[in-house]
Amino acid sequence: MKNKMIFLSIFLCLSLCFSSSKLFASDKIRIVTTTSTIADLVRQIAGDHADIYYIASPKRDIHFIAPTPKDVLKVKKAQVFVHSGLDLEAWRGPLLDAVGRTDLMWPSGDKQIDVSKGISLLEVPTSLSRSQGDQHAYGNPHYAMDPVNVKIMGNNIAEGLSNIFPHQSANFKKNADDLNQKIDEKLKGWTKRMSPYQGMEVVTYHRNWSYFTKRFGFMIIGEVEPKPGIPPTAKHMASLINSMKEKNVRIIMTESFRESRAPAKIAEATGAKVLTLAQDVGETQEGKDYISMMEQNIHLLEDALAQRKEVK
Amino acid sequence: MRLLSSVFLIFLICLFCSTQVSADQIPGDAIQKELSFLRQSVLGLQDTVHDLNSTVKNQNEVIEKQAVRIDVLERIKEGAVPQVGATTLTPVGTPKLAGVSGFNPDIGLVASIQGNLTQNKADKEGNNAVALKELELNLAHVVDPFSRLDAVISFNDNLEDQNVNIEEGYYTRWGLPLGFTGQVGKFRSKIGKQNVLHLDQLETVDYPIVIRDFFGEEGLASSGARLQNMIPNPWDIPAEITAEILRGNNGTSFSGVSRRPIFNVHAKTYFDLTDDANLELGWTTLFGDENPPINGIRPPEGQDCYGVKVFGGDMTFNWFLPEGKKVKFQNEIYFQNRTNLVHVNDDPWGFYSLLDYRFSQKFSAGVRFDFLQPLDVVGEHRQTIGISPYLTFWQSEFADFQLQYSRLEPANGSDKVDNALFLKANVLIGAHKHPVQ
Repeated sequence: MKNKMIFLSIFLCLSLCFSSSKLFASDKIRIVTTTSTIADLVRQIAGDHADIYYIASPKRDIHFIAPTPKDVLKVKKAQVFVHSGLDLEAWRGPLLDAVGRTDLMWPSGDKQIDVSKGISLLEVPTSLSRSQGDQHAYGNPHYAMDPVNVKIMGNNIAEGLSNIFPHQSANFKKNADDLNQKIDEKLKGWTKRMSPYQGMEVVTYHRNWSYFTKRFGFMIIGEVEPKPGIPPTAKHMASLINSMKEKNVRIIMTESFRESRAPAKIAEATGAKVLTLAQDVGETQEGKDYISMMEQNIHLLEDALAQRKEVK
Repeated sequence: MRLLSSVFLIFLICLFCSTQVSADQIPGDAIQKELSFLRQSVLGLQDTVHDLNSTVKNQNEVIEKQAVRIDVLERIKEGAVPQVGATTLTPVGTPKLAGVSGFNPDIGLVASIQGNLTQNKADKEGNNAVALKELELNLAHVVDPFSRLDAVISFNDNLEDQNVNIEEGYYTRWGLPLGFTGQVGKFRSKIGKQNVLHLDQLETVDYPIVIRDFFGEEGLASSGARLQNMIPNPWDIPAEITAEILRGNNGTSFSGVSRRPIFNVHAKTYFDLTDDANLELGWTTLFGDENPPINGIRPPEGQDCYGVKVFGGDMTFNWFLPEGKKVKFQNEIYFQNRTNLVHVNDDPWGFYSLLDYRFSQKFSAGVRFDFLQPLDVVGEHRQTIGISPYLTFWQSEFADFQLQYSRLEPANGSDKVDNALFLKANVLIGAHKHPVQ
């Protein structure tokens, strides 16, 4: 009798727990995104109708995120999962395996939104080999650094949300249009400000900046990493220093989560300036949303390039 | 053009009808007929528009594929994309062009090569040698929209036990009632933190002493079934619960009899302490049997069924520092409670503490402290104490080299202190999955 009572109590407790998520559910759409940049776009498109949570801290390298039990719980309860598609988030598969919801799995789940649809990818490899470092099989996935691609991402989010919540589609579409308009206006200004420096050569730490440099007309002559994902070696750094001196390259673009010793060493040898730019919303204090993040990046770059011009 | 003509035609028809209605006062049934005809026409036109849209969509896809191909060809021509052993011009990762090879399972191979140098002369020949400790073949893929299959097969080249071992091979079924995930097959049991990991995933070259003594040289992996879920709660506190029933032929603390299963329940929770620090707490309870096989199913007199109980707690603290640096502090403690007729010590216990510091992209260093009051101690309780500092060089994400020194004071007083040096290389090729821990 005592055992029966214990089992009954456990059963009741578990039932209460499993039903509690419905009892305490809010009216907002529960959306989980992989990055803070996607979370910002979702916020602008879904407005106040969404309760948004993102997994990857913008202060850590997106390639090496280890999802936590909290992330598993959040995704398990999510109504929509929005992600970068491709293979930027190598941890996404194991996360979704742990969650166990096929409706959120890429590419066929009907409650997941892949924001990369329709984006023209750069650096698509023709063959795969780890001798080329940590290659991305589908092409360079850091496409969000081009504001034009962000418009496509926004449209994908609006379309995806409209498919899942058709009664709010007009609202999503309007917000996406507003976002596109804001980006268009800003892009005009950014392009104008960067236009005097078109064709200028820069060095980046990782291939995070291919889309950005293409949009604003810079030339990347090399990376601090010898191959993507491979830590810098002395031999490679020496060769990079020589190239930079030869071409008088004065800008090294990096991110806040990278080690700073190698870029500092190269900067010391070449007289170049190390620019720590933001990759994701929230990576720096100034970049609270996508537009302010890009504004800050452009501002830092403009300052550094103007100084370089004066030196020249 | 065709669409425009159709719209114009509808417009003319509408205009014609409206003028007719107003001019000639057509009777009701005729109006109905006209409306029905118009409805049919509109539906027909909608179908036409739909077909045209599909055609345009298909054409766009063809153009997209051609654009990708042209882009690749142009970049190859410009020398922007080096062709390393390329046999095809097709962008390899483009999902639409992946072809049937996309159905092949993910394949990965991990080699762990280890060199040992030990002071203990009682060690046999194999201990002072370089050996392919393990070659681990990983195969995994989604089975259907509801499940996946994972297999880990290891090959050992130790001098004394060169063999093939099914480390894991389990089927996962998602979406069971109440959101449970079920697994059947052979898997590493969900005991604390380190038992779940494969050898190449450990920070150190070997498993902690308490894991080795309680659950076997490479921890406990056994055939059985597992149910796992996150318990939803209104406070959004992660609370994961796992229940397992395992075949009893593995795990040094238990009987070794297949018919005597081991039951395991693991619960864990997690807290974000700050934006950069988190804490995970777990609890493990195992019930098994110690009965020696000579008595068959019946336990010896005076000994309870499932007389071996193992209780364990684990605590992991992660602290993320700027520039990709990280500190990890992990502890696991285990106690046994046995109705003991076979071993001398009926309440063995042990723990380990591991401190790992990833101080650069290339290097991490740490130390593990082990303590154990083992099962098979003759006479008074004695202790095994170990300390193992280590340094790891990360050549890349796919190759790392570990140097570890271990000092072990064994429990048995007659054995001398053992100083050992290990050098281990972990190298992986192909796909490799790191499950969420």
